[in-house]
Amino acid sequence: MAECLCAGGGRKFVSIFVQSLINGLNQGAIYALIALGYTMVYSILRMINFAHGDFIMVGAYTMFYTAPLMVSYGMPPWLAVFAAILACTVVGVLVERIAYKPVRNSGSMSALITALAMSLFLENLAMVLFGGNPKTVVKIFDLPMIEILGAKIQLKYLLTLGIGLVIMIVLTVFVRVTKLGKAMRAVPQDREAATIVGINVDRIITVTFAIGSALAAVAAMMYCSTYPRCTTDMGSMMGIKAFIAAVLGGIGIIPGAMLGGIIVGLIEILVKVYIAPGWYEAITYGILIVVLLIKPSGILGKNVGEKV
Amino acid sequence: MKKKAVSAVLILAMTVSMMAGTAVFAEEEDHVIRVGAICAMTGGSAVYGEGAQNAIDMAVEEINASDSEYKIEIVNGGKVVDDAKDAKQAVNAYNSLEAEEPEAVVGSFFSAVTLPMAELAAEDNMLLLATGATNSKVTEIGPTIFRNCFIDPFQGKMAAQFANEQGYKTAAIIYAKDDDYSNGLKDAFIESAEALGIEVAYVGECTTTDTDFTAQATQSVGSGADFVFYPCFLDTVPLLVQQVRDAGFEGAIMGGDGWDGADTTGLEDYFVNCYFTNHYSSEDTAPAVQEFVSKYTEKYGDESLNACAALYYDAMYMLVEAAKNGGGSDTESLVKGMTEMKFSGVAGDIYLDEKGDAIKPVVVNTYEDGKIKWLKTIAPEE
Amino acid sequence: MPKKIKTNYLINFIGLLVLFAVLYLLFENGVFGARTNYFKGIATTACYTIIVVASLNLLVGIMGEFSLGHAGFMSVGAYASAVLTNAVADKGIPDFPLFLLAIVAGGIAAAITGVLVGIPTLKLRGDYLAIVTVAFAEIIRVAFTNFEITGGGRTMSGITKLSDFYWVFWVMVVCVTIMYMFIRSRFGRTVKAIREDYIAAAASGVNVTFYKVMTFTISAFFAGIGGAIYAHYMTAMIPTSFNFMYSAEFLTEVIIGGTGSLTGSIIGAAFLSALPEAMRAFARYRMLGYSIVLVLVMIFKPGGIFGTWEFSLSRVLGKLRGKNRKEAA
Repeated sequence: MAECLCAGGGRKFVSIFVQSLINGLNQGAIYALIALGYTMVYSILRMINFAHGDFIMVGAYTMFYTAPLMVSYGMPPWLAVFAAILACTVVGVLVERIAYKPVRNSGSMSALITALAMSLFLENLAMVLFGGNPKTVVKIFDLPMIEILGAKIQLKYLLTLGIGLVIMIVLTVFVRVTKLGKAMRAVPQDREAATIVGINVDRIITVTFAIGSALAAVAAMMYCSTYPRCTTDMGSMMGIKAFIAAVLGGIGIIPGAMLGGIIVGLIEILVKVYIAPGWYEAITYGILIVVLLIKPSGILGKNVGEKV
Repeated sequence: MKKKAVSAVLILAMTVSMMAGTAVFAEEEDHVIRVGAICAMTGGSAVYGEGAQNAIDMAVEEINASDSEYKIEIVNGGKVVDDAKDAKQAVNAYNSLEAEEPEAVVGSFFSAVTLPMAELAAEDNMLLLATGATNSKVTEIGPTIFRNCFIDPFQGKMAAQFANEQGYKTAAIIYAKDDDYSNGLKDAFIESAEALGIEVAYVGECTTTDTDFTAQATQSVGSGADFVFYPCFLDTVPLLVQQVRDAGFEGAIMGGDGWDGADTTGLEDYFVNCYFTNHYSSEDTAPAVQEFVSKYTEKYGDESLNACAALYYDAMYMLVEAAKNGGGSDTESLVKGMTEMKFSGVAGDIYLDEKGDAIKPVVVNTYEDGKIKWLKTIAPEE
Repeated sequence: MPKKIKTNYLINFIGLLVLFAVLYLLFENGVFGARTNYFKGIATTACYTIIVVASLNLLVGIMGEFSLGHAGFMSVGAYASAVLTNAVADKGIPDFPLFLLAIVAGGIAAAITGVLVGIPTLKLRGDYLAIVTVAFAEIIRVAFTNFEITGGGRTMSGITKLSDFYWVFWVMVVCVTIMYMFIRSRFGRTVKAIREDYIAAAASGVNVTFYKVMTFTISAFFAGIGGAIYAHYMTAMIPTSFNFMYSAEFLTEVIIGGTGSLTGSIIGAAFLSALPEAMRAFARYRMLGYSIVLVLVMIFKPGGIFGTWEFSLSRVLGKLRGKNRKEAA
């Protein structure tokens, strides 16, 4: 510790800055992974799926229960993510079919409230099933730490960032190139026309939910590798911030979610380090407001004029 | 008119009988203390409610099976009433309990929900035994409000003293800005640390819902501190310890009784050189503690075994003791018996001072191989 | 016509008086026995929730925009009024004027915040506006956590208890009546026109921004009154109570009751603020049951229980009379 101090302020400053940058990128990548799920659903349904955060909770609890099983069978614990993907997809599709589908045609407000209610339902169901005690998830990645410029960098942080980028690229390509992806883009533009050209809208929406929920499972894995803890209310905490990130980047736009997530993550960490830790949430939200006022559809969003 | 007259007479009669009440009731003493209990049973803090319910069940079963002069009956069918850690619901919870005409109310665990309840209890002259509400204002509300936990300033002071004894010179603090408990401990720690000559190099804020502490961890390490004080609740403790250690911190990390029950699974190495102050140590050889810990673990597992459970458990025995001291199971006798009571339970030898605050020794625990290990007990100063 | 409106108001007012008298008699004669305070507490909670929910309905139902940050305005009212009553605590002002002072101060403070929030944000619409209101509410919450005068993150306690149920009831009645008259006024009709087609409204010379900001401000004002009642009922509060979930609860109550129907808001608020209490018997499953009820209502009554229908006592009486006449005939 003493050596550190003697080494002079300059080096220390650099190491703190680099460390914060990495921490911010890591947190941002996790937000981004969650934000991708929000954006997917929003771009198809124009609906804020408040229960998405709780899909992450489902994923995290699945990881908690299955990762030790993987270890006991001599497999790497991250394989549990497949169980989580399964669980999240099932929950996601069930929620869509049971709760969202009946209210789909009764206005965005009803859909929003249903989503809020589902979020509350999943949280309380988890409370009943798993108890209120926070659970610690086993170590998912056993990766070493490297040191750059005096900053200690966890390789798993870089992994999170990498996974986020890969998923973003795959999704973008999927939506642009594949037939299913094109159908997904057609649905929000004109649902009736989409039906006429032979797109099964219900199926597209279900697929979207399945993809969004599977993303939640991946996000849950990366979340648990950094913050190895699951609580029943973890989803709503992370969810609202990730949603803010999606809006900041331009909701409905896949790279926008990634960008927004990283920006929010970086802002949070840098504000905590350099400005005022007690105000970090206020500053993040403040920046969101400023961005929306300048560019109402988010950073990467396209401004769409309204028809008279 | 006639009805009114009748009801007036009835009311008069009731008042008179109430006035003469103490004597009348004393004769009709049923030796059963009717207790209402409140804790957070749903929401993010439900783990405390689980502990409270189990502890109460266990204590009541023991008391009622023993040859104790006074028995306990938990109103609301033996169930702890939920406040969901929300002030609105806490007020309703208190009112719903009051309807069951208890003779004492036990709870709640958080200051923010206990304060409005205490206000109501003071109005009704109801005995309120707060378990975890550490805000020093709670007992100032009325003479019938007591508590069996530490008040905020005490644990902060003890942590600073401990740091000083262990020879730590520079401290960093990370505390939850939006919580009574955390703020209280932080203030007291800073005050005592500075008086003892410990430099407070960094004070970092977080919130009770945060999961990321990397910024504060980096700052703490950068400040050159050899001691990190983190007075928050058990749900975030594993995250904090891990992140502070990952940032390269090798000194001591310390917290208050909010740490009790924190999960150390998989983090055994991280928890080396971590300490927390508590009411009791699960390692304590005192028979009361041993019995409580082993019996609780056997019955309900150790998931919800935390400071909250111990405090609710003690609260039941304290009420029985108060009934004995006050000579009755009605509220008035209980208050009389509880005022300036001396009590010995799981959470130490308690003396309730004239304000109703608990003066009791504090236990410093550490971790060994992820298990809580008793380190020392510091007696309270008179 | 105006005479008919007057009679309508009179009939409904008499109806309220009867309701009040019934509640008063029930509570004062101890019909509920030891449960009196419990029910009184729930009723008080319902009253301030009704004010806040009705105020939110001005935005949702009349302006067609929604706010997910109403708890923020409520907290401004709560803290402002509490700071004020604490400041004048030893001036010997009797309770009732002090109570009125507190709610007016709370309302004005929230209204000022409403103007400040409304002017820059109301050019946004739909989901984006909702997100910005969330952002503002969170900023307000963080600010109260950091300000020393509001407790600096600690529970602010020792606020004088002023919110007596009987007073709160009448405050609620007055607030809802004003909001009802607002909706029916020229002003309210203009706002409705903006909701239906703001481009057309702007083209016909309506200053859209002004009307929107005014509606927003009025809504914030009443939310602030609700907050002031909350503060002086709870006597202690912490900024974390006014979080996103609380705002979401208000919006849920508006939608469940029926957007655009004040009757719906009243029933929705009263129903949902009492529902967690009614569920107490379910213990751990309580909030689970609560959320299931919400989902079921949304599935089977997606437009809310009342839609845009308004209850009117005079209409009910009219119907009854009509029925009687038929029976007589």
